Amino acid sequence: MTRIFRSVRDGIGFDILLIGAALLFLVAFAGVPLIYNVLMSFQQVDMFNLGTFMRPLVGFANYAAVVAQPEFWMVARNTLLFVVGSIGGQFVLGFGLALFFARGFPGAATIRGLFLVSWVMPGLVVGAIWGWILAGDFGVLNYLLKSLGIIQSNIFWKSDPNFSIWAVIIANIWLGLAFNMLLLSVGLHGIPRELYEAARVDGANTWQRFWFITLPMMRSTIGAVLSLGLIATLQQFDLFPAITEGGPANSSMVSQYWAWQASFKLYDFAKGATISVMMLVLVLIASVIYVRSTRHEVRG
Amino acid sequence: MISRRLTLLGALAMVGVSTLTLPALAEPVKLTIWGLDGDNGLIPALAKEFDDKNDDVVVEFRAIAFDELVNEALKAFATNQAPDIICLDNPDFALFSSRGAMLDITDRVAKSDVIKTDLYYAGPLASAMWDGKLYGVPKATNTIALFYNKDLFAKAGIAEPPTTWDQLLEDARKLNDPANNVYGITWSARANEEGTFQFLPWIQMGGGSFKEVNTAGAIKALETWKTMLDEKLASQDVLSQGQWDSTGTFNAGNAAMAISGPWELGRMATDAKFDWGVALLPTETEGGARSSAMGDFNWGIFASTKHPDESFRAIEYFVSQSERLFPEFSNIPPRGDIPLPSTGDAKKDAALAVFQEQLKYAQPRGPHPEWQKISKAIYDAVQAAMTGQMSPKDALDQAQATIKGIVG
Repeated sequence: MTRIFRSVRDGIGFDILLIGAALLFLVAFAGVPLIYNVLMSFQQVDMFNLGTFMRPLVGFANYAAVVAQPEFWMVARNTLLFVVGSIGGQFVLGFGLALFFARGFPGAATIRGLFLVSWVMPGLVVGAIWGWILAGDFGVLNYLLKSLGIIQSNIFWKSDPNFSIWAVIIANIWLGLAFNMLLLSVGLHGIPRELYEAARVDGANTWQRFWFITLPMMRSTIGAVLSLGLIATLQQFDLFPAITEGGPANSSMVSQYWAWQASFKLYDFAKGATISVMMLVLVLIASVIYVRSTRHEVRG
Repeated sequence: MISRRLTLLGALAMVGVSTLTLPALAEPVKLTIWGLDGDNGLIPALAKEFDDKNDDVVVEFRAIAFDELVNEALKAFATNQAPDIICLDNPDFALFSSRGAMLDITDRVAKSDVIKTDLYYAGPLASAMWDGKLYGVPKATNTIALFYNKDLFAKAGIAEPPTTWDQLLEDARKLNDPANNVYGITWSARANEEGTFQFLPWIQMGGGSFKEVNTAGAIKALETWKTMLDEKLASQDVLSQGQWDSTGTFNAGNAAMAISGPWELGRMATDAKFDWGVALLPTETEGGARSSAMGDFNWGIFASTKHPDESFRAIEYFVSQSERLFPEFSNIPPRGDIPLPSTGDAKKDAALAVFQEQLKYAQPRGPHPEWQKISKAIYDAVQAAMTGQMSPKDALDQAQATIKGIVG
């Protein structure tokens, strides 16, 4: 008895206790909802069995029904476009800004801090503001573009199927830009100055210093930024109801908004769960690729 | 001796009376009522009055946002925590009534001195019925009609508002004035319930119904909508704007006509700096079948209630206050026997008279338990056709196939 007691206080028992607490937390707050969701995607759900756990199993019927929806491939295409476009835009512009502020001109740190305002704002507010900027007949962006002579007639960002997904991507790039910039700035800050000095002595030009020092040294930061970006983009929901509601004609419908619409607008909870499980599989594949690509990274 | 016996009897009687009345006083029945927040405070006001007037009842009211109402009710029903009374949007009502979640009040209403079903408009009443039985009572009603800017009509030399779809299109062409930022018409073809709310009347005027959306008339209706967009007689934003925002552009003078409902009247009376009027929705052909949308909520009692009698009494009380619906809460009573008092604004009064006429033709959406899926098939078709993804005929054929899979 005392041995067990001593082990809990100081020894392997204590370790097990710590692991157990962490595992319990994970299972209760992540595992159970996840399993519940996966289970639901294989079940027939209606308002009478909504509150129960065991429901009639339907195999892959929900999956077949989701894929059979006429808008399925359009949603898949839009989701891909939204993820690639948002992450690409956020990363490239964020990296550019990070490099810009890394030059360390007077006030750089303060102004960089102010950029965070966009990241702190709630998505719905950002969506509402971009909704006004992107409005068709009296939008700010159209007015600017027309004044500059770039366009002749108004672009209906929110109502034209050729532009609607880009309207949300533009807003999302703006929203995630500061976060990308901040993480990349931290990464840049961690690169030892001596490397650049040595390279300069060796006669490397700006481009070579960027390509052979900055990028390799930033490898793990970039990996983290991109994978966090993937998660954040697939979780981005607020902008959709505020800007396009997935329309017109599903031209800006992405999987996360589609899942919500199935569950909470059409009250088809099984289909909503099915779509989110399909998304989960995609994220898992992306995570595996990310983990494998960073496995052999050089630790600085 | 006799007197003593009498006292004893008296005392016994006292005890009898107190045992009869005391429990009722000690534990009043608790009624939970769920309803929409907003709506000019109608539901909480009536719920509180019923509470104050009845010592044997305590009312607990919970306000829920429009988007959350059905989800909250579903969750509560699934976990056996449903309220006693709920006020649901009429197209959502069948989701509950068709599955036995609502209390069948057919017999209670038949015996009631307060609720007389023959006084109600046919549309709102139908939305509270399922399979020939009555599960609810319409709270209020509304519909849509055509608003028109009389000043712009005079300027374009048009004497009367359009009465057919062709005239509507013709008038929109005449009124359209891009140089002055004026569109011929505005409405809402949004990809949600609002889009269906606006297009279903056109399907019905074109000889169809929610079960049959690809009739020749319905295809012509969608072609008319598409033409108005293709010729830029309306802003492309009708695809994404709701009715409230779309009518806002009418009030600002940026559209000469607008299709919307009586909820616009208050704002229009102050915002619109021009002469305006309301006309019945144009029909497919002169003198053709009329129809319109039907909005607003229904009262219902959950079948799981432990206090059906008190709940029904509460609904009777709400119905008994119908005269106050319009003057105090700007809700239009769902029945024709209650005259609407003058608002003191001639334009508003004239508009209300048109809306009351239009209400006679208002038809419910459904009722069907899977209404939201039917609705999505309809607004998806409208959007697919108007963005040019599909021809109006193909879009409505696809919607029909989807709807057939739902209604069987």
